[in-house]
Amino acid sequence: MKYLFLVLENIRRNKTRSILTGLVTMVMVLVVTLVFTVLTALDKSMVEKQSNLKAIVTEKWQIPSMMPYSYASALSEGGAAPDDPDAARPEDYMSWGFFVGSTEENPAKRSFENLFFSFIMEPEKARTMLDEVDGLSDEEALPLTTAIQRMKDVPNGVIVGQERLDKMKKRVGDRITVFGRNYRDMNLELEIVGTFPREPARYADSSVISRDYFNRQLDAYQQSHNNKPHPMAEKTLGLVWLRLKDRKAFNKVSGQILASPSFTNPPVKIETSSTGIGGFLEAWRDIIWGVRWLMAPACLLTLSLVISNAISISVRERQLEFAVMKVLGFRPNQILMLVLAEALLIGTVSGLLSAGLTYLVVNGMGGLPFRIAFFPKFAVPLDALWWGAGMGALTAYMGSVGPARRARSVKVAEVFARVT
Amino acid sequence: MLLLTPFAAAPWALSTDSPILLGAVSFVALLLLVIIFIGKVPLSYNLMNLRVRWMTTLMTAGAFTLVVWVQTFMLAFVNGMYAMTDSTGQPGNILILSEGSTDETFSNLGFADATDLETQEGVLKVDGKALVSRETYLNVVQPIPDPKPGRPMRRFLQVRGVDEPSLSAQVHGMKLQAGSEWFTDAGVREVGKTGETAIEVVLGDGIARDLGADRKRDVLALAKNNSRLDVGEMFDVGGRQWVVTGVMEPTGSLYDSEIWTKQSQIGALFGKPNYTTFAVRADPDFRKDQRESFLESRRQKAEEAYRKALAEREADPTLPKPTLEVIKRPTSDDAWGAELLRDYFANEYTKSRFSPQVETTFFSAMTATNLQFLIAILFLCFIMSLGGVFGVMNTMFAAITQRTKDIGVMRLLGYKRWQILVSFLFESVMLAILGGLVGCALGSLVDGYTASSVVSGGPGGGKFIVLRMTVDFSTLAMGMLLAVVMGFLGGLIPSLSAMRLTALEALR
Repeated sequence: MKYLFLVLENIRRNKTRSILTGLVTMVMVLVVTLVFTVLTALDKSMVEKQSNLKAIVTEKWQIPSMMPYSYASALSEGGAAPDDPDAARPEDYMSWGFFVGSTEENPAKRSFENLFFSFIMEPEKARTMLDEVDGLSDEEALPLTTAIQRMKDVPNGVIVGQERLDKMKKRVGDRITVFGRNYRDMNLELEIVGTFPREPARYADSSVISRDYFNRQLDAYQQSHNNKPHPMAEKTLGLVWLRLKDRKAFNKVSGQILASPSFTNPPVKIETSSTGIGGFLEAWRDIIWGVRWLMAPACLLTLSLVISNAISISVRERQLEFAVMKVLGFRPNQILMLVLAEALLIGTVSGLLSAGLTYLVVNGMGGLPFRIAFFPKFAVPLDALWWGAGMGALTAYMGSVGPARRARSVKVAEVFARVT
Repeated sequence: MLLLTPFAAAPWALSTDSPILLGAVSFVALLLLVIIFIGKVPLSYNLMNLRVRWMTTLMTAGAFTLVVWVQTFMLAFVNGMYAMTDSTGQPGNILILSEGSTDETFSNLGFADATDLETQEGVLKVDGKALVSRETYLNVVQPIPDPKPGRPMRRFLQVRGVDEPSLSAQVHGMKLQAGSEWFTDAGVREVGKTGETAIEVVLGDGIARDLGADRKRDVLALAKNNSRLDVGEMFDVGGRQWVVTGVMEPTGSLYDSEIWTKQSQIGALFGKPNYTTFAVRADPDFRKDQRESFLESRRQKAEEAYRKALAEREADPTLPKPTLEVIKRPTSDDAWGAELLRDYFANEYTKSRFSPQVETTFFSAMTATNLQFLIAILFLCFIMSLGGVFGVMNTMFAAITQRTKDIGVMRLLGYKRWQILVSFLFESVMLAILGGLVGCALGSLVDGYTASSVVSGGPGGGKFIVLRMTVDFSTLAMGMLLAVVMGFLGGLIPSLSAMRLTALEALR
């Protein structure tokens, strides 16, 4: 305990230096925390799960994937032959198409602000199959389940994320006309029946319209155009998600789908969702590498240098004090530990404080707004608290071990010989 | 020469004749003049202290080095992205997509659209042939051969199918490297003895390097060119073999990341028989007599739209603040031709509904991702620089505490307070300049390295690119500016505290 008081007293003695060292630690830990918030979320999304995994079926050779909707039924069964009792079948499925349009009628005035992007899917699957939504409790998912129920009575209903609602200046209950961009000459008259829960934030800008309703609109188009189908009529299926029990089921379903003659024009590929996401993130490979292996270590090294500088100056100033402590009976290693402890205390506390504030502030704002691929925002994980403390402690140790060793080797006779 | 070449690509670009840069340099030079010759600031004392306390000097400068190095490296990446989007496109070209399309991937144009378009007056004709490149643009998925464990198994390739490659090259200003040739009319050739055919392709320089990295050691040992795929080499895409007939000269544009091939081959292979894009070279003399009236009319429309938006905002204050569209005067006949032709297709041409854009504007608009990265990098560098500021502040406070007696003696010798202030500020800034110079030098080592990224103008669409990291004069100037600002801010408060010491207090 006396030792701790000694450490605290030494820290208190030069408040300016201690505060400045603490501030540098907080600032650098903030940078690394933000960087690793993004990196760990991306890494997590690419970890291959061994059970309860999701597979994605898409067009084999092109993006955007555009398959005929007729594929959906057979894919939802995992490509299994109907009379095959040994076939593996998915536990659940979800099909996605994409409708991109604008709420602005005049093509010259269309912009990102009036852009409307919607999933075309089975509405009930939004609750059971959308990533992160499927993990919500019934209470947390209540806005969505209410909206899904409502869509049963309102076939032209649309569920819109809150951020998109705010941008469009609309509310639940309003009606909108969406002028198609990827489906030319198809305009949808929709009624906003509900919204996504606030968390997870990734769907805040998304919308969902019913697949049945969309198919009926395609039929209506055909009827009004001399029975000529829409040019995109056979390309409305973007991808199919399959929930599978484990890797064994994935391998079996893969084999079934790839061997099936039903999916040859166009051919399809199946991969786990983590592999699919990894493919898209490959474009960001170099910047991710640079940030992970250059920027983050540079921050920590800078912090170590600054701490080393500060502790070196402190040790230089306290040579007489260390000499007196040796005379009083302190052993060299105790002096080493004293210096290390001062640095570690400042580093650990500052790091923890920085990470804690980052966690509260960034998550309070709804997450770090930095769009990469399908990730619009990143939430700081609770693990950041121990990252912060750990980084602060590690850099403090690295920066102070040299000066602490010099403090340990202070020679009493030399110091007193200099004192006049 | 890297350091002397001004390169105005990114938003922070400074050319050598930039008034900001000239002003800053002049100010610093004047300040040094005053300090050295008029101010009688004890500079030699500061320089001696930097030398004597070399360990502290090295560690403080080292922190600056790291911050400036990180900024230079990250800005080089973003600079490469801006350079790519800004240098893509010919000023005299317009790109025609189907109505409502903002990206080539979602565009759908018919054969008849092209035939009629080529007869329009504003389209440049050479030897009776309209300079219109009919194209089908695709993003193709390629399984990566022998992917490393933990790495993705697929990549996305930008493939452009064209009808007449030499015509398309003329429109886009692309040239083949020596030893290369365009693909044949058929677009395929026989390879091997079993009559198997391969699709003929021409590669952009950037994608040729990326694909070249897939080659195994034994193939590489026999390759003509170790750094990229070359003529005669093959790779697999879409279940077919593709053979390289040529590699295009690097232009620093997005086309360096593309694979060109015969439209009839890939249209059939990937189920996209229609065109996505017409690249049209405008006649530079198109409606020459109407230039001024066109410009005036655009300005009036822009002002009208702005006034209308202002009135709407007054009625509904929640609407975003409107901005007046700046109508730039085209700077060349090619650019005039393109603007007037674009306007014609957008407002007067009624046979088909197109979405025409001047090619340079189309690609310049793909800076949404660039801007996002730039903001993120600047934000992170700003926070890191705060760390640098606190670090040097710590060092300078310690230095002043240790040299209090020196300050007292200097006051007794007649140095004024402001001279003490400038003296310690100078020391702090010198530390920063030293660290900044080394940081810039280290950061400049990344110049020329290639990296992959994606550019897009917003949600939906986007192009996967191979860019060249670019460290130019502006990037280095930003690095030095950051270092000097950090040094100045970090040294200011300690220097002010040194300034306030009286001789008596200092010597007590």
